[in-house]
Amino acid sequence: MKKVLAALDASFAVTPVLAAALSLGDLLEAEVEAIHVTTDAGPTVERSAEAAGVPLRVVAGEVVERLVEAGEADDVAALVVGARGVPTDPRPLGTTARAVATSVRKPVLIVPPDVAPPPTLRRILVPLEGTVSSSLAPASLIELARNAQIEVVALHVLGSGDIPAFTDQPQHEHDAWAAEFLARYCPSGIGSVRLELRIGRAEDLVPRVAEESRSDLIALGWARELAPGRAPVVRAALERSGLPVLLVPVVSEPTMLSSGPGRTGASVG
Amino acid sequence: MTAVAPATRRAGAAAPLDPALDRRFEAVVFDWDGTAVPDRDADAARLRELVEELCALGLELAVITGTHVDNVDGQLLARPSGPGRLHFLVNRGSEVFEAAAGGIRLLERREASAEENAALDRAAAATVEALSRRGISAEIVSERLNRRKIDLIPAWADPPKAEIAELLRAVEALLYEGGVGGLRAAVDLGVAAAQDAGIPDPRVTSDAKHVEIGLTDKSDSARWILADLWRRGIAPSQVLIAGDEFGPLGGLTGSDSYLLVPEAIRATVVTVGVEPTGVPSGIVAAPGGPATFFTLLADQRDRRRRGDVSDVDEDPAWAIDVDGFDTRLERVHESLLTLADGRLGTRGAPLTGNGATTADVLCAGVYDGEGPTAELARNPHWARLPSGADRHPRRRTLDLHTGLLRENGDIESLRFSSLDRPGTVALRATGDPSFLPPSRRRRLGRRVTALFRDRRRRGVFERLGAYDPEESVVRAALVEAENAGFERLLHEHREAWGRRWDEADVVIDGDEALQRDIRFGLFHLMASVTDRGEAGVGARGLSGDAYKGHVFWDSDVFVLPFLAATHPGAARAMLEYRVRRLPAAAEAARRLGRRGARFPWESALDGFDVTPASARLPSGELVRIRTGELEEHIVADVAWAAAQYLDWTGDQRFAAGPGRRLLAETARYWASRVRFDREGRAHIYGVIGPDEYHEPVDDNAFTNVMARWNLRRAAALPGIRDRDRAEWLAVADTLVDGYEPASGVYEQFAGFHTLEPLLIAEVAPRRPIAADLLLGWERTRRAQVLKQADVLMLHHLVPDEVERGSLLPNLEYYEPRTAHGSSLSPAIHAALLARARRFDEALEALSIAARIDLDDLTGTTAGGVHLATMGGVWQALAFGFAGVRPRGDRLIVDPRLPPQWHSLQLALRFRGEPFRLSIDRLGAEIESDGLAIRRANGIWEVCEK
Repeated sequence: MKKVLAALDASFAVTPVLAAALSLGDLLEAEVEAIHVTTDAGPTVERSAEAAGVPLRVVAGEVVERLVEAGEADDVAALVVGARGVPTDPRPLGTTARAVATSVRKPVLIVPPDVAPPPTLRRILVPLEGTVSSSLAPASLIELARNAQIEVVALHVLGSGDIPAFTDQPQHEHDAWAAEFLARYCPSGIGSVRLELRIGRAEDLVPRVAEESRSDLIALGWARELAPGRAPVVRAALERSGLPVLLVPVVSEPTMLSSGPGRTGASVG
Repeated sequence: MTAVAPATRRAGAAAPLDPALDRRFEAVVFDWDGTAVPDRDADAARLRELVEELCALGLELAVITGTHVDNVDGQLLARPSGPGRLHFLVNRGSEVFEAAAGGIRLLERREASAEENAALDRAAAATVEALSRRGISAEIVSERLNRRKIDLIPAWADPPKAEIAELLRAVEALLYEGGVGGLRAAVDLGVAAAQDAGIPDPRVTSDAKHVEIGLTDKSDSARWILADLWRRGIAPSQVLIAGDEFGPLGGLTGSDSYLLVPEAIRATVVTVGVEPTGVPSGIVAAPGGPATFFTLLADQRDRRRRGDVSDVDEDPAWAIDVDGFDTRLERVHESLLTLADGRLGTRGAPLTGNGATTADVLCAGVYDGEGPTAELARNPHWARLPSGADRHPRRRTLDLHTGLLRENGDIESLRFSSLDRPGTVALRATGDPSFLPPSRRRRLGRRVTALFRDRRRRGVFERLGAYDPEESVVRAALVEAENAGFERLLHEHREAWGRRWDEADVVIDGDEALQRDIRFGLFHLMASVTDRGEAGVGARGLSGDAYKGHVFWDSDVFVLPFLAATHPGAARAMLEYRVRRLPAAAEAARRLGRRGARFPWESALDGFDVTPASARLPSGELVRIRTGELEEHIVADVAWAAAQYLDWTGDQRFAAGPGRRLLAETARYWASRVRFDREGRAHIYGVIGPDEYHEPVDDNAFTNVMARWNLRRAAALPGIRDRDRAEWLAVADTLVDGYEPASGVYEQFAGFHTLEPLLIAEVAPRRPIAADLLLGWERTRRAQVLKQADVLMLHHLVPDEVERGSLLPNLEYYEPRTAHGSSLSPAIHAALLARARRFDEALEALSIAARIDLDDLTGTTAGGVHLATMGGVWQALAFGFAGVRPRGDRLIVDPRLPPQWHSLQLALRFRGEPFRLSIDRLGAEIESDGLAIRRANGIWEVCEK
């Protein structure tokens, strides 16, 4: 059985992390297990896990190393970590959360310490940048959400460089454009996913739309890099949305179904 | 009498066919003597039987020979009943006959004039005299049609082809002895004699024994038959040319080498002859004479009996190829590969495959739902096989010339939606048996009944299908299709497409890529509109569900003109759609307290407006859609379309009946729509023009001038009541149009000049661009930024209704202000930039328009192709570059040929007369039986002879 691993520490994040892990476990149809890296689990962690009804595993060792090791286990579907220990910490991600998120090659749910995740997810926001690789990342999540009847709102932000050339009749054009966008980048969501389009900077609009749509969680495909200048949308979601953010690693582009001349396996001549 | 040898038996390990011959051909063009028969006395009974069966199986056959038709037909005596035809191209390029069940029929004959005959006599006599002076006793042995035959060696009577080498040696010896210098020199004597006799382009040939001086030769026959096959949908790549004398003979080119005209370059050529000097490069050697030829024909018969899937022509000038299967772009590809017959459209999804496809079949005019949610109903699919979800094609090729879709991969297939029998479809497939369904019959469908007859036999699957809302019609159609059979249906369909291209093709010499793109657009235009009954043509035709099949001004203004000028029946059907909705339009006017007919901005089944009331923009904003309420130029656009049809066709019946009603009732609407100010000027307040970035506006120049045109055109109709005429002319004369004489510019609407003077050409990162998304709706509304041609649209549609000489100042003013945020815009600008001789910009705009779907420039081609843009491209070529305009009983031609093009040709039809217009640096000319072209006042005019 798959499991969602909730990384606990004695901080304000412990309760939200457990709650988020339980609702994510529901979505992923996975068991939830808590893990605490220390020589001695303190009462806060033990009691919180017990109160949430989640079994706790205590391991010793270096925190990041142990968490990454645990997260890479075959039966782990996702890892849940607190964004930071204290709500007033100005950093979007504490050192541990940052190190774990950029190292684990599994989905990592980053939970702010001051959020109250609902017991059951009702709506998730999935920003899609409109590339095959980044759209594949949340694909299975979308499918699971659909099966669990969780509403999925896909968001695509058009930057100044990709403003469409034509709008023709907006009462039809948008529908046609959205339908094709979803077919390309969210095929598992056709018929069930609502596409929101915005124009501007994605890092500004993702948190805004998350709030407008009253989403419970934001799911983002990412390349596991947070160096300065990288992943602006991830940073903005972590900094400004106040929501749990599920970071789903992007894998390399799969082999196309059949090879042929041209860029992606099919060419029109 | 020598019997034609039976087919070579292939016992056990028979000699394999050359790979070039190991395929199905659609036509065989062949020489007679030495190729099909060893000599004139041979018994051709078995050949006749084979020929007749091949024609029944759909193969086209053509004999090209120098001899008389009686010699060939008298020996073959074939009377095929089709669908494949048997032609005799005889008398060395001078005559064409067709043999059919009823006998043989002369199709064409080149008749020499009296002067030409006299010249031929002189040439022959002079040649004999020249030879005689050298001691060679040649004789004029026949005076055939358009030629004279000189026997060089009368002593050697009727040598068989097998002795050709010996004959040649004897003739050469004779000629050298006489100091003539061989056969080549003898021919040269004939050429010189002919030229001296006044024949400018003599055709002098030799078969070693004879020299023939003529006006035509086998190359004329080859050109004729290849052109005829092309017109009937068969490309040179699908033709097998067979002869026995391609190699040089005595220094002369072989007699069958005349068949190798430039048009035959992609044909497969085989020689069954001895070829004593070697087989020329590019020709397949299959020695064995008539026996081998018989074997080749028998092989073609066997392939057709088996049901082999034929290839399509892969000429890049006519083919759209999709290699592989890309889930990301598949829906775009399916739109591009759509097959349609005017009534039924089938997207080009592969026969097997996964959910990335949107495999839709749409029937024109059949909607689900009502009002704004009405959309073209989806129908059962005839070209999808139930198995093989994980298999994908290696390649799909749409042959634009014939409307055939070929699929290669685990399953090889060919399919089409019959242009000759709209609503009837056919599919043939071979391949992995696990994918092929069993034989059965099925009835499917709800709004539209679909009947399929599937037949599976020895690894070949064949489906015939028919669709119609009326079940009785479907049943009859399927019975007829079954009676015809796949091959005959294929024939008819191909020929129907061949005829359509003959009457509508556009040829540009100087831009191959653009040439193919243009044909892509013309194909979809022709495929999307029926010529029977009524044709409500949605924005994406029958290629997809975007825009729900709703009808906009796209069809009246952008699509119809192409059809009015090439296939008027389809244009008439489009107008019938509007005529039948006149009552609804009258009701719509009445509800607004007006008179006449007010056509809706968006139309579907019942003729009432189906424009949705709101839309969510990509910015997230929910906006009210007011085009249904305010974009009223559609009323004049419908009238304009009716006038276009009348101007091109002169259809008096339409002019007196439904056309009259359309023009009169729309004029009546405008007369009731205007408001007069205190000075007595007429205004039209609160509309949306073609530039939809600004709404509502007052006195939109386009709306007002089109209304004025509408009023004047209707007032000129015969039989209009005097008071109506007076009213309409009075309104027309007082309608403000925004023209400013000082600048020569029309103000697009009242107050346009006071808007923010933004030049989108300067500030936008690129054009075309959706300026409303770039700047936001509010800013765009307050700025001088246009979505598409508005004032300039007047110069395109009604150039005689705008001030003379005003194109240039309005182009200067409005072009840099146009964002081209509508896919309709670039083609119109291409036309006008061409008129202004701004060729580089014109070609750039034309290229954008021509590639709009091939490059998916809107991001929505997955929902169907942009028919209006395709129509706009044709208009850019016809009205812009060729400068063609009907004017009364004449067609004006005032070309603007860009320096990059050597020539431009258009096939058109004016007042019922088809013709081909050719424009090059030297001027313009036409090919027509009934029309002539002349130069008048610096432009060209086409009129009846």
